[in-house]
Amino acid sequence: MRKTLTFLSTAAAAVVYVSLTLTPSKAQAPAAPAKAVAKTVGKGSRMPDGRPNLNGVWEYIGTANWDIQDHSPAPGPMWQLGAIGAIPAGQGVVEGNEIPYKPAALEQKKKNKANWPAEDPEAKCYMPGIPRATYMPFPFQIIQSNKDILMAYEYASANRLINMGKPIEAGSDTWMGTSNGHWEGDTLVVDVTGLNGLSWFDRAGNFASDKLHVVERYNRRSNDVMDYVATIEDPSVFTKPWKISLPLYKRAEKNAQILEFKCVEFAEELLYGKYKKQPTK
Amino acid sequence: MRQRVLTSLMVLAAVLASVLLVTLPMIGQAPATKAKKSAYTPPKLPWGDPDLQGLWPGTDLIEVPLQRDAKAGERVEVTEEEFAQRQAKAERTAENDRVAYVAKDSKVGINPPGYWLEHGRPQKITSLVVDPPNGRIPELTDLAKQKAAQAKQAKQGHGPNETWEDQSLYDRCITRGVMGSILPVIYNNGTQIVQGPGYVAIRYEMIHETKIIPLDGRPHPSSNVKSYMGDARGHWEGNTLVIETTNFLGDKNGIGLNGGGTPHSADMVLTEKWTRTSPDMMEYTATINDPKTWVRPWTVRMPLRLNPEFPLYEYACHEGNYAMFNMLKGARADEKAAEEAAKAGKK
Amino acid sequence: MRNTLSFSVALVGFLLAVSPVRAHHAFAAEYDGKKQVHLEGVVTQMEWINPHTWIHIDVTEPDGKVTSWMVEGGSPNILLRRGFNKGSLEKGQKIAVDGFQAKDGSNRANGSNITYPDGKKLFLGSSGTGAPADPGPGK
Repeated sequence: MRKTLTFLSTAAAAVVYVSLTLTPSKAQAPAAPAKAVAKTVGKGSRMPDGRPNLNGVWEYIGTANWDIQDHSPAPGPMWQLGAIGAIPAGQGVVEGNEIPYKPAALEQKKKNKANWPAEDPEAKCYMPGIPRATYMPFPFQIIQSNKDILMAYEYASANRLINMGKPIEAGSDTWMGTSNGHWEGDTLVVDVTGLNGLSWFDRAGNFASDKLHVVERYNRRSNDVMDYVATIEDPSVFTKPWKISLPLYKRAEKNAQILEFKCVEFAEELLYGKYKKQPTK
Repeated sequence: MRQRVLTSLMVLAAVLASVLLVTLPMIGQAPATKAKKSAYTPPKLPWGDPDLQGLWPGTDLIEVPLQRDAKAGERVEVTEEEFAQRQAKAERTAENDRVAYVAKDSKVGINPPGYWLEHGRPQKITSLVVDPPNGRIPELTDLAKQKAAQAKQAKQGHGPNETWEDQSLYDRCITRGVMGSILPVIYNNGTQIVQGPGYVAIRYEMIHETKIIPLDGRPHPSSNVKSYMGDARGHWEGNTLVIETTNFLGDKNGIGLNGGGTPHSADMVLTEKWTRTSPDMMEYTATINDPKTWVRPWTVRMPLRLNPEFPLYEYACHEGNYAMFNMLKGARADEKAAEEAAKAGKK
Repeated sequence: MRNTLSFSVALVGFLLAVSPVRAHHAFAAEYDGKKQVHLEGVVTQMEWINPHTWIHIDVTEPDGKVTSWMVEGGSPNILLRRGFNKGSLEKGQKIAVDGFQAKDGSNRANGSNITYPDGKKLFLGSSGTGAPADPGPGK
């Protein structure tokens, strides 16, 4: 009797075992990678390759987009907006607060400022270029893969792919430039060339030419703060290189995401108004 | 003693039976499931997601029509003869380019020269639309027909290029919409997938779009938030990335080339599926479900080939849109000329 | 040879006529089909921009006067993928342009045929033309 019982229970166990192993293995998704995802998407985390994980929605808080140098408040261009349209005071983000313009270039900067906002590429919804895209009053998202790093900016759907492989040369000049990146320890270093010199640095008319060369350094200081330093070099505009330095903050809302700000429609009247059949006065 | 043994045996038998009832059907199914789908399993990224990354341009499909020729009926593939014709056409195009290169007396036209186009590779598929089975876009709803009639009516007595709104969203360099950004056109059909933990991002070359798809199951925003590219949410079904996009701005882009065609409504639900069927092939399908515009859902399917030689370049359209200025100025010049001709006529 | 040529040109014309390139921002809205121009000049700048490139040329009239023209081409992305880049058309290069002038009479033309002094077309490189990244037919 005992032998029968043992036999039967062994047989039953065997059937159960065999039937379980014969079911499609897809049903048993590997548990380990799911844990890996939880780990890498967590706070202060690293990517599986050991590099800092820069994934997330980031944004700068401050007035650099108004003026990268420190400044007092000022009235805005449209009195109809009252205090809403006024320019806030701000701490500068330029190391040493001085921008080493050549004399002729300084005159151009003043002209730019005098022709603000009409001449500001931002008003025309032109892509902001680097470094301005980093400190626009709009968030951007970093998608860091096991290869390249994508940065998608909410403003004007601007974006750029940072090539982390063998450096590529810019075939032509573009608004967002050609970005080649590599790691120096825990710092992401991005070398940006091929910028077309048509964007400004801010609403104060600071600018450069198509000889602009920007080297960015991204260093995650903590879970939610990343230090951004951009070295600006343009021998036709500046007498020597200079730096912009500012913190970037992780957007902490649950389900933070970048939204869509396709601003061309907001700029069409400004750009084309006088060529309409009934022209804008 | 015998009673207890008997009970235990019956319990054991019951357990056995129930296990077999559950597992036997699955054992039976496993081989059948395998036979249906491709056996290819893409490599996994370090965080466990299937790796779909790469450059997947739609360039090869340039000559494939969106809608199937009515003569082809429900045929998904062209006949051998039709395929031979497609191959011959491709060779003629290449030959034309060779000839045009040195031709001394090329005709002067008002459009850009032919060598500024990209070319496809002859394909076997009859059309990109695969459902309904006849490969043609379903009928419009009465509401959609009404809107189209109203739009046409509004254009009566309206001259060309009175304002920028007389141009398409594409020519205004605003957007081509989701489907308009992937349906193959004459050039710049660049599509790139970049993945991060918990996300998939899809870049479209024209007009520098980035679709970011969270995979964490978060809800869509409320209908207060609408956009041209909609709001995407993704999840994996096996190795297939399934993307559901809602929150579209309605009555703007259509589901045609470059976002043309009948504008879809704000209620459209777009379901896309990306499945890597081999190391260098991706099956892409998109099901358009918009009961306000089409009487039934319809599906587009595209086989996309991995092409590392097709990097995306910046397409900063708006920033270089001299054409918009020129079209408006051109229309004003025409109007002035017509006015002056009328005056001269009256004298 | 001539027959093949006219057939080929006609075919290209046909292809252009039926393909979406016509729908894409009607060049016909910018240029006047009655004002055909032939320009011979020297490149001063090429804007590698979208949606279309613009080649700036200085044309010297018989009387010695120099006028600047802008010539509209296609999208530069195609050229970049074929191996051309911003160094491919240098300042000072002589080119000839056949096209139509802008409706508003300004010095703009579409670049229907843009050729080097030896008659070879600019940037053609889809097959068998020795372009930097000539991928061969059907690619």
